[in-house]
Amino acid sequence: MSPTAGVIVRFVALLGLMLTNGVVMIYMLRKVLGRLHIRYGPIHVGWHGTLQTVNDVLKLLTKEDITPSAVDRWLYRLAPALVFVPSLVAYAALPFSPDLAAVQLDTGLLFTFAVLSIVPIGILVAGWASSNKWSLLGGMRAAAQQIAYEVPLLLSVLPIVMIAGTASLGGIVAYQEGTFLGVVPHWFIFNPLGLASFAIFAVAALVELNQTPFDMSEADSELVAGFATEYSAMKFGLLFLSEFSNQFVLSALGVTLFFGGWMLPWISAEAVSSVPGLPVAVFMLKAYAGIAVMMWIRGTFPRVRIDQLMQLGWKRLIPAALALVLVAGVIHKAVL
Amino acid sequence: MWGAGLVNGLRITLRNLRRGPIAVKYPYEKLELPERARWAVRPKYFEDGSPKCTACMTCVRTCPDHILSLDVETREDKTKHIDRFGYEIGACMMCGLCVEVCPFDAIRMSHEYELAVTDVSGLDEALLEDVDAASAQRHRAASDGTKDPESDD
Repeated sequence: MSPTAGVIVRFVALLGLMLTNGVVMIYMLRKVLGRLHIRYGPIHVGWHGTLQTVNDVLKLLTKEDITPSAVDRWLYRLAPALVFVPSLVAYAALPFSPDLAAVQLDTGLLFTFAVLSIVPIGILVAGWASSNKWSLLGGMRAAAQQIAYEVPLLLSVLPIVMIAGTASLGGIVAYQEGTFLGVVPHWFIFNPLGLASFAIFAVAALVELNQTPFDMSEADSELVAGFATEYSAMKFGLLFLSEFSNQFVLSALGVTLFFGGWMLPWISAEAVSSVPGLPVAVFMLKAYAGIAVMMWIRGTFPRVRIDQLMQLGWKRLIPAALALVLVAGVIHKAVL
Repeated sequence: MWGAGLVNGLRITLRNLRRGPIAVKYPYEKLELPERARWAVRPKYFEDGSPKCTACMTCVRTCPDHILSLDVETREDKTKHIDRFGYEIGACMMCGLCVEVCPFDAIRMSHEYELAVTDVSGLDEALLEDVDAASAQRHRAASDGTKDPESDD
């Protein structure tokens, strides 16, 4: 296969995965939230409402695409792409199995975070270009919270990189093979330092994703739909899809960094990877379990205030993450 | 302990998840209404199908929303003919005062709660239209030999 064809195949595969994820996750969100609220969720279209999201996608595709007259036309059209493309690119370095990743990057972790940090810029552009006060407020909030929480998010994974000695996602998974003393899997979540960094990672990831309880940027009750207020049809669809796709990416990152990626506990990596398709299935299952937990949190907690959020970020999480990096560095050099 | 409330919240929603939905799939499943539920006002009838309403106007005067109306013709022999017993259901608050006050037990609060209409004119209904109002005389005549002991004087 020529290199160009290979790139195209990977691109189409990732795009397909992203769109499928979006459709599945929106259905899952409705069902999970419904059940958490003792409701049914969608039940009408298809078996148990499974075709509801497909129906909604078709609706979004065929809807009138309205461009309000006061918007900044260029930026208004650019913003959905600016939000969507990084979300898609962020899939590139994820290790779905020992040898299945769109690109094998030595700096996969850094690459993924760097790409994801472009998303808030797109959201800010969307909020600004809409020339709507709610959009602008939503965009500003998104930029403020996502930029503030990128710092603890990145710092929280530094101990992992230090211990594993690599920033390649595949390498970090490979490091987690085996068990401590033959009992506990050698995953970072079972390591005290890893657990501490997971606590920071989880909170920062939820903020980064604009997930309830940190969804101030689209707070429906205050800002209509935040930065997406003026968007309709598939432009809105792209903004919406990218949000869900980011959720998958961060869940997959969490799985990769803390829960042993595609590996199963107490089973050697070779045994897992010798069964075709099993590593990918394990990885997807773990990622979706992470998403389910996020939805669980989403269905439980009320939204926090923006100033509380910023205080938590700057006054608590960043110092905590810095302290963690310090402690991890000392322990790593002195003990291990 | 700090954070205990968060964990408790998660515990509660998880319990809800395992309880399963309690929602009633409304158009397909319907709950039985409580016996004294008050919905649209409806007229009552004798067994022969004639209305029990005597067109005494008590309900019309009582209604706090002024939504009941009676167009009545009084004939020479003092019997009454109801042209239209109007009921603007769109403005009715189902308070039930008209039913409380009716001296002849001629109207009731029904259990009809699916009251949506697609046309505003549907919100102004006629409870009775172009019928003779009930009267002791006529009732006696209709029920033939079997006389009502109370009205027999």
